[in-house]
Amino acid sequence: MRFFSFHLMPYPDLPPDYDGPAWITCPNELFDPRLGGELYNRYIDELVYAEELGFDGVCVNEHHQNAYGIMPSPNLIASILARLTSRVRIAVVGNALPLYDPPTRVAEEFAMIDCISGGRLIAGMVVGGGPEYYSFSLNPAHARERFAEAHDLILKVWTEPGPFEFTGKHYKLRYVNSWPRPIQQPHPEIWIPGVGSLETLEFVAKHRYAYMGIPYFHISVFERMFAMLREACQKEGYEADPLQLGWLVPIFVAETDAEARRRYEEHFWYFVRRLLPGINISPPGYTSVRSVENIMKNAGTFALNLDSWDEVVRGQYAIVGSPETVREQLAANIERLGVGNLLGLFQLGTLPAADTRHSLELFASEVMPKLRASFPGGDTSGASVPTPAAAPS
Amino acid sequence: MTSLERHALDTAVGSIELHRGGAGGPAPLVYLHSAQGEGPGMVLLEELADTRLVLSPLFPGFGDSEGLQYIDDIEDAAFHLLDVLDRLDLVCCDLVGLSLGGWMAAELAVRWPERVRRMVLVNPVGLYVPGAPITEIFGRAPSELADELFADPNYPIAQLMRAMDAFEADPSQIPFELVRPILQAQAATAKVGWNPYLHNPKLQGRLRRVTAPTLIVHARKDGIVPRAHAEVYESAIPDATLTDLDDAAHLAPLERPGEVAKLVLEHLGD
Repeated sequence: MRFFSFHLMPYPDLPPDYDGPAWITCPNELFDPRLGGELYNRYIDELVYAEELGFDGVCVNEHHQNAYGIMPSPNLIASILARLTSRVRIAVVGNALPLYDPPTRVAEEFAMIDCISGGRLIAGMVVGGGPEYYSFSLNPAHARERFAEAHDLILKVWTEPGPFEFTGKHYKLRYVNSWPRPIQQPHPEIWIPGVGSLETLEFVAKHRYAYMGIPYFHISVFERMFAMLREACQKEGYEADPLQLGWLVPIFVAETDAEARRRYEEHFWYFVRRLLPGINISPPGYTSVRSVENIMKNAGTFALNLDSWDEVVRGQYAIVGSPETVREQLAANIERLGVGNLLGLFQLGTLPAADTRHSLELFASEVMPKLRASFPGGDTSGASVPTPAAAPS
Repeated sequence: MTSLERHALDTAVGSIELHRGGAGGPAPLVYLHSAQGEGPGMVLLEELADTRLVLSPLFPGFGDSEGLQYIDDIEDAAFHLLDVLDRLDLVCCDLVGLSLGGWMAAELAVRWPERVRRMVLVNPVGLYVPGAPITEIFGRAPSELADELFADPNYPIAQLMRAMDAFEADPSQIPFELVRPILQAQAATAKVGWNPYLHNPKLQGRLRRVTAPTLIVHARKDGIVPRAHAEVYESAIPDATLTDLDDAAHLAPLERPGEVAKLVLEHLGD
């Protein structure tokens, strides 16, 4: 089992009277740059702290023009983490490949992060969220083929000697010759996040990558999704390794169940009711018709439809409670889902720094060691090359 | 009212759905539909078919028409439609296009003006007019769009669109067979019109090449395309006239089939 601390870097200060979407058209006047600066530094510290506490890795991701996650460039944050940490894996989950033109930029920046971190990068690749196609005015009907072509190009950049010419449908590059190259050979571990699109599951199975299930659905949705991935792997002629499966879930630990809910619930609802609205827009042609049919079955369980804390608990939308409760529920779900990567969202919505750190500490000292004992295995070796010590500050 | 029969037509991108009916007239009349994919069972076409040979091909992605995977942009759309004209042996035809179909008609007429005898563009998109943006059609609540597409809130499709809002929280409650054609039609529209948004920056400068006498119809209650677009079409096409339609909105040919048929036949001759 590998344990990751995942940060969305949410904006916690939307005014109470703003009831519009948090995406695409959420007025950027609402972003206070000074607060933004404090948040970035605080959130980076929370990720760095995860290394100190013994996590195997940290995760960042990419979203644009929204209050849900103010991290349009996860590579900037990952490069800071590469320098500030020395052991944890740094998972960028991921770069939205179709948004980079040409996508050799991704190959270059990921290689930089891999070099700076001494080979600790996990390279996440993603089609990009539906809202991104509005925010970038990028044609969603071309999303899948651009993603596939960009992926092929990036892998070729990492695995074949340059310079070479690449002539695809969307990218035509005469001199591809990335400096630098990644430390990890033939290339960094690749993760693909998804919400159950069949094309993505088949793609992951075919390439033997790892699939990260995106949260905010009822736990049964994850169960179906991972079953579909296992099936897709079997069709490719092999059994899925648990390390190919990752479950991303909000986690909060306090001394008792009652204390945990008391400290956490309002921050969870801020996240659900203020930051999720708008995330689920699905632009035309973005998902194939057969995948839409599959994804639509889950739409009713999307977290935006949650009304009560009971539903949150029943559907395991967040794992909240005393160390023993959290351990028990995580263990049951890890078993049920068969995942080898747990990606915990320890900060969510408006959750303050002190509560976030306290929860991280309790998790690391009282939950993680027991789960490690219950679910042995997983690569925890860390860096393949030691990172040079940071300059004294 | 002369009914149209459904046919399949083989094209370079695959088999497409074609509705055909009526006979006569100075030239075959080809109707190019909007992003709604209207055509089958359309009253306007049945009225026109009383005196004219009417052909209504559905664009790839609409109805049962295949081949959307080979269409990437408006350029591909124009060449696909040329292929359709060729396979129907239409050396020269009359074009009637609504909205997206009006844009496609104009793209045909600037490239192959000899193939178009006369033309009617109803609320056409296709141009960028500074200060007069085309309303966003992607990602909108159906109930909002209904007000922009229809003048009469009680028109059946408008009522249906408002009813769909009830399923916003849980779209799985809508039978997927109803959703599938809408998704496909939207994907097809996005292919040609996502960015640049429902226009071709090159089109305006090319409109001088249109030789067909052209009628531009603007519906006064159109909530999608401002009148300024019709005005640019009128001024840029050498032989063009602009007519306004009262009490009609973007989908005027659906809501006001009789009036639109009259305008079309007056312009094209019967």
